[in-house]
Amino acid sequence: MAKYVCSVCGFIYDEEEGIPEKGIKPGTKFEDLPEDFECLWCGASKDAFDIDNDQGDKKEENEQKDKNVEVEDENIVKSEDGDLLSKLSYEQMSALCSNLAKGCEKQYLTEECTLFLELAKYYKDKAKKVEDCSFEEMEKLLKSDIEKYKDANEIAIKYEDRGALRSIVWSEKVSKMINSILKQYNDDKEKFLNGKNIYVCEICGFIYVGNELPKVCPVCKVTNKKLHKIEGGVINE
Amino acid sequence: MNRQSEFHAYRDIEKCTKDCICLYVCPTGATDTETGQVDFDKCIGCGACINACPSRALLLLPRIYPEQQQKKEPVLNVVRSLAQSKVEQEKIMDNIVKNANTDAELILAKAISKSNRIMAEDLMREGGFLLPQSNKVREFLEDISKTNDEFSVQIAKKLMNLLKVSNDEKKK
Ligand SMILES: [Zn+2]
Repeated sequence: MAKYVCSVCGFIYDEEEGIPEKGIKPGTKFEDLPEDFECLWCGASKDAFDIDNDQGDKKEENEQKDKNVEVEDENIVKSEDGDLLSKLSYEQMSALCSNLAKGCEKQYLTEECTLFLELAKYYKDKAKKVEDCSFEEMEKLLKSDIEKYKDANEIAIKYEDRGALRSIVWSEKVSKMINSILKQYNDDKEKFLNGKNIYVCEICGFIYVGNELPKVCPVCKVTNKKLHKIEGGVINE
Repeated sequence: MNRQSEFHAYRDIEKCTKDCICLYVCPTGATDTETGQVDFDKCIGCGACINACPSRALLLLPRIYPEQQQKKEPVLNVVRSLAQSKVEQEKIMDNIVKNANTDAELILAKAISKSNRIMAEDLMREGGFLLPQSNKVREFLEDISKTNDEFSVQIAKKLMNLLKVSNDEKKK
């Protein structure tokens, strides 16, 4: 009997226990769960689950690995220094400015907020346009991101950057959630919504599809007041 | 006139239920405003309003925020490359939003676009731009103000005048 853990929110499916309240009998193998099985906490699909290896072993392995990571000389690994604009794309500058606008809004700096939003829009318009117009094109980028996270995590840990590690961990989970949602969408197409709503967490970007919001965001743990419903609109205006 | 205090009171509008005890306990009348917010310039950071508020709607905020962690280049490279991929995905989703044929397609693309934007913002923020008042943001605005791009130069200059920079790392 094995345990499977949801890579988005950490929910554990224990084959030994099953989920009797959902009609899944104790002893039900993970592979025997119905194809449309969804994570009880976040709604991710079956393929977002990984087998839960014996955690004790895993920890030891990681500790061992940490010891082997060479600590590079502070002077060799530079902190960023100057010439910032040459390192940033217009898209990145736009995201930076829209985030700073949020930061200003929080501090009640209304004028600053408006100015940063203007800059964010300006840089977004200046950025290179893309022609791609399909979920498949996006999925390619998403899949390559998902492969990058392991290294990204290691780099943030190595340089003891808790803040960067946090943002990497959240975006990894959200990316896996999007991947899972796209799979459900590809399977069901127009029937995908089927009376359900879509919500996005304003803090981490987690997407929830359904009508019973979890109490807190499964990824960043903010209260569900920050999960905002996405409204439809005019199609092909 | 008092030397400016290290902290000032701030009213959380979501929590404030207009108990109005802050009005008479404040020694300077800083809470006595019709804007709903505390007058930060008048506030001396004494905390009297905070201790008196039954709704816990008042708190002290620092006038100058703490120094930020120095960011290492390998970390910056990895968060920025992820952020770039997220904004590329946002752009593709925006195209779908414009051309959507079904409700499901429209709402899903909107959600994924927004989600990618939020991830990109969060990743960029961890590149040393945690607070609008950080030195790194100042450097960013200064660099913009030195370009020939008139529109962004004007905005950057306005922002530089408005935002007080925290006293972190001394400039070389
Ligand atoms: Zn969240």
